[in-house]
Amino acid sequence: MIEVQNLTKSYSGVRVVNIPALVINKGETIGLIGNNGAGKTTLFRMILDLIRSDGGEVLSKGANVVQNENWRDYTAAYLDEGFLIDYLTPEEYFYFVGSLHQLTRAHVDEKLSTLTEFFNGEILNKRKYIRDLSKGNQCKVGVAACLLQSPELLMLDEPFANIDPSTQIRLKSILKDAAASGNMTTIVSSHDLSHVTEVCQRILLMEKGKIIKDIHTDANTLKELEEYFSVMQ
Amino acid sequence: MTTQFLDHQWKSFWRSKNTGKSIAIRVVLWLLILYFVAIFLVLSFAMDKILGKVFPGQDVIASFNGFILYYFLLDLVMRFQLQELPTLSVQPYLILPIRKKQIVNYLSLSSLSTTFNYSPFILSLPFLLKVVLPQKGGLAFTGILLSLLGLTLFNHFFSLYIKRKVNLNGWVMLLFLGAIGLVSYLDFKWHVISIAAASSWLFNSIITAPALALAVLAFAVGCFYVNYLFLKSNLYLDELRASSSAVKSSTEIPFLDRFGAVGDLVANEVKLILRNKRPKSTLTMSFIFLLYGLIFYTKPQTSTIYWAPIFCGTFITGIFIINYGQFMFSWQSSHFDGILVSKVRIRDFFAAKFLMFTIASTVAYILSTPYTYFGWHILYAHTAMYLWNMGVSSFIVLWFATYNYKKINLSKGASFNWEGVGASQFLLSIPLFVTPLLIFLPFNLLHQQTLGLVVLGLIGMVFLLTRKTWIDLLTKRFNKQRYKIAEGFRNE
Repeated sequence: MIEVQNLTKSYSGVRVVNIPALVINKGETIGLIGNNGAGKTTLFRMILDLIRSDGGEVLSKGANVVQNENWRDYTAAYLDEGFLIDYLTPEEYFYFVGSLHQLTRAHVDEKLSTLTEFFNGEILNKRKYIRDLSKGNQCKVGVAACLLQSPELLMLDEPFANIDPSTQIRLKSILKDAAASGNMTTIVSSHDLSHVTEVCQRILLMEKGKIIKDIHTDANTLKELEEYFSVMQ
Repeated sequence: MTTQFLDHQWKSFWRSKNTGKSIAIRVVLWLLILYFVAIFLVLSFAMDKILGKVFPGQDVIASFNGFILYYFLLDLVMRFQLQELPTLSVQPYLILPIRKKQIVNYLSLSSLSTTFNYSPFILSLPFLLKVVLPQKGGLAFTGILLSLLGLTLFNHFFSLYIKRKVNLNGWVMLLFLGAIGLVSYLDFKWHVISIAAASSWLFNSIITAPALALAVLAFAVGCFYVNYLFLKSNLYLDELRASSSAVKSSTEIPFLDRFGAVGDLVANEVKLILRNKRPKSTLTMSFIFLLYGLIFYTKPQTSTIYWAPIFCGTFITGIFIINYGQFMFSWQSSHFDGILVSKVRIRDFFAAKFLMFTIASTVAYILSTPYTYFGWHILYAHTAMYLWNMGVSSFIVLWFATYNYKKINLSKGASFNWEGVGASQFLLSIPLFVTPLLIFLPFNLLHQQTLGLVVLGLIGMVFLLTRKTWIDLLTKRFNKQRYKIAEGFRNE
């Protein structure tokens, strides 16, 4: 699905991303972890062609994301609140995103009805603009807009950070269901090791721009990761 | 897609916190716009008369033609200063399934709705209809109109292109301003080239062969395309940002150390001013307003009257107090909660503001001393108003600041920026400018102008010497208002 080759990016002389090779297969659920400044978000942004890489390339379904824009049709991502159109109401935003995928309003409503639990009654029909929602609720809007697009590739940057425990559990079950269906490739970054090990089949650990561990999740993974991070203290 | 974008643009305008919340601002804004449109229209209708008077014996159309390129040169400089780049608003669309081509077109199209694109037509259309159409016929009229459109669009996209280049590389700005300066010098000073002649030639040719207008349009299209290609290949988050991320130096101001905790607060505020776009442009504007006196003092009839120096003195020595102080404490709105919970004592907070105002008006006063050239009475008036501003105006500004609940985004430019403007700014100008004139009025009627100035200066001195009392008063007032202010600043 995604192939990264010799990808590098530096900011004022410091290498923030340096990945010689990485292959993510279709249907995998990837957890991306690492301390602040490890390069997770920068990697996300380069996969989404939001920032220019210094060298190397990202291939999505075999096509370079910089030259070919087809990846936009099957990729959905939520990185932070800055990517929401904050002066729209959540409904208006959902309809807009739906319209980009040729979904009628009825279609969008139907899809949103499956997310009622996830929204917990705090998003729809509140007569609020997105900018007036709390960070957690903005995150719900962003994630819902992604799911609405039924993407083949879903990328979420720290989705668990601002949401309440119930929503975290609901989001985890949504991600697990999606992984079970096998149609969706998911990349999730998080600082919460237990969330990541619970949801993801494969975990990439980044440190100073490099992927230093690439492990398949099993019973010992959480312990292994906790050890790594406690050494770092 | 474009209609969707336009719909969003529309919503973003009407739902923005700055638009429309306060009816007073909207009314004033519309009155201003109507005022300018009216002036332009009157100017345009009377243009044949004006041109006839200024260039007697010359055909008005010929004089008009000679002017057009000057207008667009000036227009280019103005756009470069004032036109805002439509940038970050595209961020949400970058990760949605929308092609870059569409986003770039949206950026280009949405930028078109600026006053700069209407003014050439408001300014010329009545003249063209009144003079050119009956004299030269419909084809020539259309030709001129199309070429004006071409030049407008060319300037529009060219200035956007240059501004984007400047964002990536600051030297481009020097190069651009140098080129403009060189052209003006070559024309006005050294008479090597003549823009007037070029302008006449171009538009006379267009009147005789209207098809030439298409060539001008082609220029505009070319510029649009260059802009399009540039944007398309630079549509990246870190490059769209308006500021470059050069290595930031840390500034220390040893002079302020002697004032202790208060000095530290002032140093912080100085950094706030120097490191953010909007307060920085407010500061720049304050320097420009120092030249304000030239408008009044150079006129011989005002040279012996005292009104002008009092008004100008208030303005010049107090420009920073007025210009920066009117948005007090909004400058700190983004970290206002931090100030409230910090160890900063409110008394120190106000003492720091007073100290900053004192330093600023002292600098302005010293810089304004050359105006003495126009008469000693100006120096006296400025001295009186300098004392007045330090004593009284600073207090008035800070008092009004406790009524200001509006948040300000520091990173946006100051020109045409109505963010943070509320009723308190309009009310503020009345006591600031009217009170000194009112005090001076009886002395002027009794022909005791010098005594009037002394009284104004003395009042300022008294306020200065009793500053502790005023700080106490402000602190009390502030403690009552703090929740309301903090609440207002939290609302985006």
